[in-house]
Amino acid sequence: MKALALTLLIAVTGCANVAPYQRAHLARPDMAFESNLGVAKAMEKTFPAKEGASGGASVGGGGCGCN
Amino acid sequence: MALQRFTFRAMAAENELQVHCDDVDLGRRGAQAAMAEVGRIEAKYSRYRPDTVVSRINAQAGGRPVPIDDETRSLLRYAEALYRQSVGLFDPTSGVLRRAWRFDQPEVPCDAILAAMVKQIGWDRVEISDRGVRLRDPGMELDFGGFGKEYAVDRAGLVLREHGIASAMVNLAGDLAILGPQPDGSPWRVGIRHPRRDNAVIATLPVSSGAIATSGDYERFIEVDGVRHCHVLDPRTGRSARGFQSVTVHAESCLVAGSASTVAMLKGREEGLAWLAELGLAHLAVLDDGAVVDASHPA
Amino acid sequence: MQAALALPILVVPARAGAAEVGEVGIAVLGYKERGLIKVTEPIIWAKGRFAEVWEVSGSVAVDIVSGASPQLVSNATGQPMQTITGASVTDRRKIWDAKVSRRFDDTTLAASRNVSREEDYLSHAFGIEVRHDFNQRNTTLVAGYGRSNDRIRSSDDPLLDEGRDTREYMVGLVQVLSPVAVVQSTLVATRGEGWYNDPYKQTLTFYPSGSPPFAFSGDLRPSSRDTVAWLTRYRRHFPGSAGTLHADYRYFHDDWGIRAHTLEVGWVQSFGARWSLRPALRYYTQTAADFYSPLVPRPQPALISSDQRLAAFGGLSPSLKATLRLESGTTFEATAGYVYNSRSMRVGGEGSPAFQPLRAYYGVVSIVHEF
Repeated sequence: MKALALTLLIAVTGCANVAPYQRAHLARPDMAFESNLGVAKAMEKTFPAKEGASGGASVGGGGCGCN
Repeated sequence: MALQRFTFRAMAAENELQVHCDDVDLGRRGAQAAMAEVGRIEAKYSRYRPDTVVSRINAQAGGRPVPIDDETRSLLRYAEALYRQSVGLFDPTSGVLRRAWRFDQPEVPCDAILAAMVKQIGWDRVEISDRGVRLRDPGMELDFGGFGKEYAVDRAGLVLREHGIASAMVNLAGDLAILGPQPDGSPWRVGIRHPRRDNAVIATLPVSSGAIATSGDYERFIEVDGVRHCHVLDPRTGRSARGFQSVTVHAESCLVAGSASTVAMLKGREEGLAWLAELGLAHLAVLDDGAVVDASHPA
Repeated sequence: MQAALALPILVVPARAGAAEVGEVGIAVLGYKERGLIKVTEPIIWAKGRFAEVWEVSGSVAVDIVSGASPQLVSNATGQPMQTITGASVTDRRKIWDAKVSRRFDDTTLAASRNVSREEDYLSHAFGIEVRHDFNQRNTTLVAGYGRSNDRIRSSDDPLLDEGRDTREYMVGLVQVLSPVAVVQSTLVATRGEGWYNDPYKQTLTFYPSGSPPFAFSGDLRPSSRDTVAWLTRYRRHFPGSAGTLHADYRYFHDDWGIRAHTLEVGWVQSFGARWSLRPALRYYTQTAADFYSPLVPRPQPALISSDQRLAAFGGLSPSLKATLRLESGTTFEATAGYVYNSRSMRVGGEGSPAFQPLRAYYGVVSIVHEF
């Protein structure tokens, strides 16, 4: 597990260096990792409430008595 | 496929098995095994015989724990879950009320007597541990009457199924289990007894599987000053249930159907119907004014 | 350096994703399962940036649940099935959360607090996070710690009052791969101790032969849970087609025996500066927990749960999102999705036999205004 994470880290830091003036595309809204704050929050429990897996994106989210 | 009928007396009532089976011998063997299973459960949990586990627990009320086996443990666990879910309305320690209510005389017990009886009721004072069961206070009684018959219905049905019988009906004094549709594929037609007219049916339900149980105010009752008091008694007050003439529930097992119908009767008209709807169980209720609420869905 | 930094702001045609000064938004989620529960969840939120280094955000949501949840798994009819559906166990859940962050050059510190309250469940959580940009902001390292304390009760059993404490540890990386591609990978490990039993789930089993002939059990789970979730998200823009590829993969593993894979692939197609459409497909597969069983084993074990969320199953969920971005800074978004979980959808097709298919629809609409 750790070896995998470390390999990934080394691999990606060796990638192309993108200068600030080249970041136009990266700033596009559709390049964001999450939807807007509200939608992400509302959808946070939608799938985990019916599945065994949860999390992976952040910490401190709290639980619920999802039934 | 021939239909075989077996009638037998158990649990102080007339009971019947109807079995469809190609092999007549197998049908008979299955029915005998099923009847034996009913007898076993009655012998084990009757409060009227002195040597049953229930009688021993009652005799030791206020004393030492009585060891119990896994079957009894699971039944008590089920009763406990029901006690919690019904907020105390279903309470297997409410059998003491039969000392106050004699349904052979039209007399309503006075408040003082009922109050004294209610003090001896309370599942919270049933102690279940690794060593067994103990009723904390002398005078307390455990009674499997509220679910013993229903359990026997389910077990009898299972015994029939284990003999390879795929189409049968178990009927213990009105509590039924149905194993599969009739050989031609049609459902069994289950008649719900009319709560006020003998030998009459108020509704017929088509049933192909699962179990049917009915709680009614007509089995044992007295009428005093125009008010009916029946044997379905509220453990918290000692008084008769009100609001329904009968409640019939269709569930996957007779245990669940019987518990649901009893608790619905005790909850009274509005809360009882709301509760049955929340549980998602098909039901048919006859209200105290005779109106029929049919939520039986195509079975 | 200043001139180089000023350039992207001129070049970007549509508004950038990050709020200039702040944003306010409202969203509503509607979720409906066939035959079971229905959920409506409105949420409002706001985010603001102050003195260039501070960012504060907060949200309030209400989860309104109606309908019923499966309660009893019984094999009385021959096969174990989810049968009586208990009353809806929560009517309303209220959720508040707030987050504060402060930037120091290339490092950002953030603290968050989350409270969730419903009749039979109360959860308090906090989190702290540190992010460090380097490599000309091509690489960001993230580390975080969170702690959550839950209080579990039961509307069926007034005597139930239990707690659970969970600690979460996160490390992550965001890496720009090229002018059109970026990847984020986060590892979250959690350790929880306390009450995990579901107070509303029971199992009823009749045995054909042997002793005992019957068993009834409540939900009995371990008193601790260790989990690891590894989430990787990839975003790749294709300027020629004005489209962006989204690919998310999460691996989940816990000490209850559950291993799950989640894969979501989406494509955002832009139509001009305002409109975009995102069809997406999410696939999920999981193994069963060690103590999952729709029948009570004999002899009765210390752990058993018939909750089918712990079973082996798979699921597919397609969705479609439409977005309208106005120059004024207001964005409208609407998503519609469908969820189908079943035993056959599991990778390899060997899902738990008693798993009953779940079919649900959901929709989310949101309006956000950035200013």
